[in-house]
Parts: sequence; C-alpha cells; structure tokens
Amino acid sequence: MRARAAAVAAALAVGSLAVGVLSSGGGAAAATASQPAPSSDVEAGRQLYLVACTTCHGGDGAGVTDRGPSLIGVGAASVDFYLSTGRMPLDRPRTQAERKRVDYSATQIRQLVAYVASLAPGPAIPKIDPATGDLAEGLRLYANNCAPCHSSAAAGGALGHAVYAPPLNRATPLQVAEAVRIGPGAMPVFGPDTLDDHQLASIVRYVGYLHHPDDRGGLGLGHLGPIPEGFVAWVVGLGAMLVAVRWIGTKE
Amino acid sequence: MLGERRIGALLIVSTLAALGLAGVYIAGGQPQAEGALLGVALGGIGIALILWARSLTSEGTVVGDRGSLAHDEDAAAVEERIEHPPAEPGRRGVLKLFWAAGGALALSAVFPVRSLGPAPGKSLLRTAWRRGSRLVDVNGRLIRVETLQVGGTLTVFPENAVNAGDSATVLIRLGADQNKPRPGRQDWAPQGYIAYSKICPHVGCPVGLYQADTHELLCPCHQSTFDVLDGARPRFGPATRSLPQLPLAVDNQGYLIAQDDFDEPVGPGFWNRD
Repeated sequence: MRARAAAVAAALAVGSLAVGVLSSGGGAAAATASQPAPSSDVEAGRQLYLVACTTCHGGDGAGVTDRGPSLIGVGAASVDFYLSTGRMPLDRPRTQAERKRVDYSATQIRQLVAYVASLAPGPAIPKIDPATGDLAEGLRLYANNCAPCHSSAAAGGALGHAVYAPPLNRATPLQVAEAVRIGPGAMPVFGPDTLDDHQLASIVRYVGYLHHPDDRGGLGLGHLGPIPEGFVAWVVGLGAMLVAVRWIGTKE
Repeated sequence: MLGERRIGALLIVSTLAALGLAGVYIAGGQPQAEGALLGVALGGIGIALILWARSLTSEGTVVGDRGSLAHDEDAAAVEERIEHPPAEPGRRGVLKLFWAAGGALALSAVFPVRSLGPAPGKSLLRTAWRRGSRLVDVNGRLIRVETLQVGGTLTVFPENAVNAGDSATVLIRLGADQNKPRPGRQDWAPQGYIAYSKICPHVGCPVGLYQADTHELLCPCHQSTFDVLDGARPRFGPATRSLPQLPLAVDNQGYLIAQDDFDEPVGPGFWNRD
C-alpha cells in the first residue's frame, strides 16, 4: 500500500513537472499570463461577452467586417486597457474610441479579460511599479518617444484623419503601461524589446509627475503653450495698459 | 498738501518693495513673489510720476523774463554776425565729401560680408550615414532585428554620430507584405523595417508623429503627412517631396545597418539642390 502510494505520488510529480515544462516553453516570446484564470472567470466573462460584444466582435471573437476588429491574440492588457478606461463598449459610432464612463465593475472587467485572454496568447497585463522608475530617465524617454504626439506636458495633440493623441492627466499608471505595451488605435507599440520594464517604469513615473508638474513660471494655463499665454498677455496685459494710458490723459 | 503726501507714500511703498525684491532674490528666489514686488516697485514710481504731473505742476503759460545782454560790445558783435555771416564751403567741395563718405562706408562693409562664414560646399548633400553604419537609438543602444514589434517606431542615428542633427532617422517596423517599395528599393526594408529621414522637406521640423493604424508620418509644424507604405510620399500639407529613405540591411550578427547614405539631400530645398 505504501509503495503504491509512493508510486502514484511520484507519477503525479513527474506528470506535473512535465506539464509545467511544456506550458512554460510556449510563453517566452508572447509574454502570456503565467497562470491561466480560473475557469469560473472565463465562463462568466464569456457570458458577459455574448451579451454586449458579439455585434461588433463576433460570436467567436474573430471580428465582424466593417464593424469591429478581431480580439483573438490581443491579450489581457488590451482588454483591461479598453474596459478600464471606458473606451469599450462604444456608445455610438466614433472615429476614435475615447475615454468615457466605465460600464463594468472591476469583477466584470476581470472576467472579460480572462475570457478574451483565453482565446489566444497575447500581451499580459504589465506589472510596473512607478516608484522604481528614474524620473530624469523618464523625462528623456518621454521627450523622445511620447512628446511628439502627446505634447511635452501630456496635454495631448492633434493627429491626422480626425484622430488625436489624448491628454494623459486621467490615466492611471497601469493604464499608461498597458497603452505603451499594446499601442491602441493610432499609437505605435513599444514592446519589452523596444523599452524594457525599467524604462517603462520611468516613463510611467514621469507621466505621473506630469499630473501636477512644478509650474515654475506661474499659472499653467492648461499647459497648452504659447497660445493661451499670448491671449493673457494681449488681453489682460495690453488691456490694463490701455486703461492706464486713458487715465494718464484725463484731466483732473 | 494731500497730493504730496500721497505721492510720498507711494514712493515709500515702492522703495520697500524694491528692497524686498533684493531680499527675496538673496534668499533663493521665488518667481511669483519677485514678479509681484517688481511690479509694485516699478508701478509705484510710475504712478507717482503721473500723479505729480497731474496735480503738482501748474497749468497754462508762464512767462519768464529774459535778462538783457551784459555789455554793449556783445550786442554789437551779435549784430555784425547776423548781417555779415562768415564764408562757408562751396557746393563742389561738399559733393566731394559725399563721395568720400560713401566710398568709406562701402569699404567698411567688406568686413561684415567676409564674416558670413565659409561656403557650405557639399556638406548639405550628405549626412553622417555611411555604408555599414549600425543603427543606434538616442541612448546609443544598437538596434537588433527583435528590437521593434510590428507597429513600433524609434528615432535612430548612425552609431558614431548620435548627435548629428542631419542624420536623425525614423525607424518603423511594418508587417510582412505591407510595404510597397518603389522601383529599385526592393531590398531597402528587411523584415518589415523601414527608415526615413526625420527632417521634413518643407521647413525642416522633426517628423516625429507616427500614426500606426494609417501608416502615416505627420509633421507637427505644418501638418505635412507622408505615406510610409509608398516611400513617404506626401499625401497632405505643404511638403512637395517625399522623405528620403535610408536603405537598410541586417548584418550577420543580427544588427540593423545602413546600406549607404540617403540617395538625396535631406531636409528643405535649397537653390542648388538638384
């Protein structure tokens, strides 16, 4: 009896080791989730998906022509980004999915993430701690890679075809990291081989700093640059000077 | 008088503000406080001057009496000068002086013209890219085949010239079969990697905005838009020439290299460009 129990235990150990080796081999390049979500989450996510997502993304997640793209292989990071920022589900036809009211609870988002991630391997939700990032390095990386579209103070900017790079003042650190890793919409994608995790943490930390930058020169005026500043100079400054000139010229 | 007291008080306040400004500056400085104190100091002097002009100076004409000349000899000398003025240079002489002055001015202009600097020669026709230059990013890291994912982009430079302003290049990775190379450029974009000069051919701004879904490079200054899949041909905006393309290759260690320099001058046009 003891020997048989020992043999079963040994077989189980060898078997699970084999499964562990085989399943870890496929995840290296695509950075899949290290542990599959509980099947209850996947099933609950599938029920939510069938209710709200199939019209545009198809019953199987493969997309519908001229309505919605395929979700096969987009990964947990994409789903979490789009749902937690409220970009999805769309409320009306739009040129660009925009941040709006979040329609799902955190539990529902987790379940939908689990279901879509289970369709095929894709980018996992990044684990980035901004406190480990270097603020000065984040400034340099942000200025080189992000500022052309999002502007130097993360106030956003216009692109072509009625699309724009949004301001980043409402993005959480996780959402910033997810967007960098998936490249949503018009945004290019910066994978782990382009910007490693430490560089990404630095960028996330710097974007967090930009939520309340040190405005040395005075009022930030939306950090939009010379146009609002010129407006203040011409209207307020020149207006005050005109009033003063009028006062100088009037008789006592 | 009330007016004098008011002006005096203003000037005292202005003096205190100026001293305060010096104190804030010595203590390390604070831009908003410094600005406010400077405004009070200057404004105090200005308003005091205006109040002085309005209330303290009198209105109307004031006649001052000019005393008579001291001696009669001085009066006679003045009368003589008025009636018989001394001789002056004739018109001919003055014209010669004009020529001399104009000529001297032209001569002196030779020196600033000389300091306009050396002629650019061929320096506008070439960048720092050479055959075999390895691509590096702004931190000096070498670019390998796996560095960019499909849909990714980075700004790259030649390996030994990271600060070369004319060599800034946009590196983009396209998916397989997305690129439609121009004739003669079939091997310029290995494994989806394609590179264009970052300097806009309109006025020279860095074309740093890459729209990954429409595969277009956008210049932020005047919104020239270039189609990355068609040799960066301008599709919108004031640019009339495509972005020059850098021919790429992969060396036997997996690093991205340039096959050669750009095949045309980068940046805006100049009068002897072609």
